[in-house]
Amino acid sequence: MAYKPQFYPGSTSVGINRRKHMSGNLEKLRDIPEADVTAIMGHRAPGADYSSTHPPLKEMGEPDCPVRQLVAPTAGAAAGDRVRYSQWTDSMYFAPSTPYWRSYWGAINCKGCDPGTLSGRQIIEARERDIEAYTKAQYDSEMTDVALCSMRGCTVHGHSLRLEENGMQFDMLARTEMGKDGNVYAVKDQVGIPLDKKVNLGKPMTEAEAKKRTTIFRADGVPMCGAVGARKYDEAVEALHHMWELRSKWGFRPE
Amino acid sequence: MAVKHTKKLFIKALNKKFGKDFDLAGQKVEYKRLGIEQSARKREFIEYARKVEGKRGMTGYNPMVHAGGIPMGQRQLVPYKLSGTEYVVEGDDLHFVNNPAIQQMWDDVRRTIVVGLDMAHEVLQKRLGKEVTPETINNYLEILNHAMPGAAVVQEHMVETHPGLVDDCNVRVFTGDDALADEIDDQYLIDINKMFPAEQAEALKAAIGKTSWQAIHIPTIVVRSCDGGTTSRWSAMQLCMTFIDAYNMCAGEAAVADLAYAAKHAAVLQMSEMLPARRARGPNNPGGLSFGFLADMVQTSRVAAADPVKVSLNVVAAGAALYDQIWLGSYMSGGVGFTQYATAAYTNDILDDFCYYGVDFAADKFGGFAKAPKTLDLAKELATEVNAYGMEQYELFPTVLEDHFGGSQRASVLAAASGITSAIASGHSQVGLAGWYLSMLLHKEGWGRLGFFGYDLQDQCGPTNVFSYQSDEGSPLELRGANYPNYAMNVGHQGEYAGISSAAHAGRMDAFACNPLIKVTFANPGMVFDWADVRACFGKGGAREFRAAGERSLVMPAV
Repeated sequence: MAYKPQFYPGSTSVGINRRKHMSGNLEKLRDIPEADVTAIMGHRAPGADYSSTHPPLKEMGEPDCPVRQLVAPTAGAAAGDRVRYSQWTDSMYFAPSTPYWRSYWGAINCKGCDPGTLSGRQIIEARERDIEAYTKAQYDSEMTDVALCSMRGCTVHGHSLRLEENGMQFDMLARTEMGKDGNVYAVKDQVGIPLDKKVNLGKPMTEAEAKKRTTIFRADGVPMCGAVGARKYDEAVEALHHMWELRSKWGFRPE
Repeated sequence: MAVKHTKKLFIKALNKKFGKDFDLAGQKVEYKRLGIEQSARKREFIEYARKVEGKRGMTGYNPMVHAGGIPMGQRQLVPYKLSGTEYVVEGDDLHFVNNPAIQQMWDDVRRTIVVGLDMAHEVLQKRLGKEVTPETINNYLEILNHAMPGAAVVQEHMVETHPGLVDDCNVRVFTGDDALADEIDDQYLIDINKMFPAEQAEALKAAIGKTSWQAIHIPTIVVRSCDGGTTSRWSAMQLCMTFIDAYNMCAGEAAVADLAYAAKHAAVLQMSEMLPARRARGPNNPGGLSFGFLADMVQTSRVAAADPVKVSLNVVAAGAALYDQIWLGSYMSGGVGFTQYATAAYTNDILDDFCYYGVDFAADKFGGFAKAPKTLDLAKELATEVNAYGMEQYELFPTVLEDHFGGSQRASVLAAASGITSAIASGHSQVGLAGWYLSMLLHKEGWGRLGFFGYDLQDQCGPTNVFSYQSDEGSPLELRGANYPNYAMNVGHQGEYAGISSAAHAGRMDAFACNPLIKVTFANPGMVFDWADVRACFGKGGAREFRAAGERSLVMPAV
C-alpha cells in the first residue's frame, strides 16, 4: 500500500487547513500575472534576463556524483540563477497562513527552497525563477489574503498589530492600499520602492472567509485549549504533550 | 475554576499607555501616523542632535533617514510602565545607555568580589604567630576601607584616588558566628540578623557556619575603565597592603605571598566564571554569571518573602537587563533591538498578570507554594494552563498583543510565566524548566509562529536538556548560566531562566537559591543599586531620579 502522509492531527477547521497547506492541495483563488509578481518581488524588471551565478549545469561538466544523478535540478539551478527570496508577513487576525505553515508548505512542496521562520515574517529563498514560481503559487492560493498578508522584505512590523479600520494589516511603509473600488493594490515592492504601476491584487476575504480558511488557533475563532474555566484540548495539544514528554525523558538517560 | 484567578493586572498599564478611554479590546484602529513628534524623548533627541551637529561639524542622529524618510511613529509611540511600580517612562529610557540604574546594576556585580578572611588569619596566626582578635580585625577593616578605594598604606610618596570619585567603594564582613559578629564594629558588618527575616537569617548562618568573609566592592569607576577581571586583582593588592599595615608585617616576607594567593585565588569567590576563547572574557563578566548567583544577588526575597512571584520577577528584570540588554545585546552583538526583547519581561504588568494567575491557580489546587508534586505531569498541567491563559489575553486584548509586538517577546513572557508557576508550585527549578519548554511548544503550535530563528534551535530541542546531567549538556538550572551551550546565543531566555531558578526557592521560602555568600554580600547596605527592588530602580533610572556611582564630573569642567 502506498504511503499516504497524514501531516497533522485534529478535526477542526484549523487542523484541516493545516493539512491542506502542508499537502499542497490548496484552492486557487486568484491569478496575479507573473510579471506583476515579479515586479512586487523587486529583484529583476519583468521581462529582464535572469542574473546567474554560474553557467548552466549542462555546460559546467558536473562531477561524477550519485546524488546529482539521482536528483534532477530545478529549472533555476539548471540555468545557474542567483538565489533570491520572497518574504511574507501574515496578520495574527485570521490571516490564512502562518509562518510555520508557509515554511512547512515550502519544505514539503517546493524543491530546492530554503524556508526561514520567524514570528513576524517568513522567508523562502530559492533560485530566482524557482522562487518566482513559488511566490506566485502562494499569491494565487488560499494561503494568502491580500489584506491580511503582504510581501515585505524589510520593515515587516505589523503581524501582531491591530488592523487598519478598512481591515488592512498595518504596514509602516504602506506597500499595499485599499482602493475605492474595494480591491487591494500593491503600490511598492517588497522593500518599499514605489512600483511603476499599481498592481491590482483583487478583493480581500471577508472576515468570515478568513476565519474559515485560517491556520491559527485563537480564542475568538477555533480555540486550541478551550477557554479559561472550560478547558478542552485539541488533538494537536495531546499529540504535542506526548512529544514533549518523550523528548524530556530521552534527555534524562540515567545510564 | 480558573476564572477566579484572572486579574488583568495589565489593564492599568495599558490605560496609562494608550489613554484611559481607549478601547483595549478593539481589533481595528485608525493609524494616525503622527511620526516621532508624538514622543517627548524623540523630540529631545532631535533638539540635542542639532546642538551636537553644530558643535562637531558633521551629521549624526536624524530620524528622517530611517526607512527612506518614513520615521518611526507610524503607529502610536507609547510609554512603558515598570511592572509592579508606578514609574512610567519612554522606551528609550530603558536602553541601558540611557539608564544609569541599569548600568549601575551591572557595575555593582562586576565590582564585587567575596574573599574569605579565615585563610589569611591562619597564615597570620600559624605561620607568623600573630594574634588575631576582634580588635585587630576592626583595625584592619578601618585601614582596608581607606586603602580599597585606591589610597596608600605603608608606602611613602604615593599617588591616590580622589575620595569623591570612589565614594561607592566599601568593604564589610559577615559571618555565621553571632559571637564574632557582635565584636565587629557595626559600620563594617553586614548584620545577617538585621538584614534578613529570622528564619532566613538562621538558614544563612547555618550555611556559612563559623567562617568569615569580606564583601568587597571596588570603585565603580575602576571597572568602568578596566573590566570585571580587574576586581580580584585590585582587591587583592589592597588586601595585602592592608594586612601588612594592620599586622605590622615585613612588606617583602614570603608570608605575603600566602596572603596574596588567598586574596587572588584560594579564598576568592568571583561573581562569574571566565569564558572560553570563543567568547573570551575574564571572570566577573556577565557571560559567566550563573542563574543561581543572579537569583541570589537580587534581594527581594528578604523584603517580600511572602510574595514569591514578586521575588522571581525582580530576578527576571535583573536578568533581562543584564543578560539580554548588556551581555547579548552589547558584549556579544550590539544595536538597539535587544532592549525591547528584555523590557517585555519587566514592563506593563503583563508577565506579572500571567504569573499571578498561574501561581494562584496552583496554590489553590495544591494547598500553597511548593506543595505540588515534582513531576513532569505537574509541569504539563500548569504550563498548559498558564500558556493557554496568556495566549488568550493576547487574543482578547489586542493592545497587549501590540505591546508585545514581536513573537520573541511573547514567547519569553508566556514561557517565563509557565516556568515560574511550575517552579513555585513544585519548589523545583527543573520542573519549572520543563514548564518553560512545554510553553514554547504549545505557543508555536497554537499560533504557527514563535520567536526569531534562534527559538527554533533553543526551544524546540530544549526539553531534552531539562533532566540531563551529562557533562556540558545538563546541570541543575541554578548552576547553568549565560554560557551554557544551548543558551549562549538567544535573547529573551537567560533572565527568565534566572527567574525560574529563583522561583523554585522563593516558593520553598528558602533563604538563598544557590550560594549563601552571594545572598549576604548583596545585602550590603552600601550597594549603590537597589537590589531589593530592581524594577523600581530601573524606573528611577528612566525617570532620571537615580544617581549612579563612578562619575567623572568632579574632575572635569562643568558642561
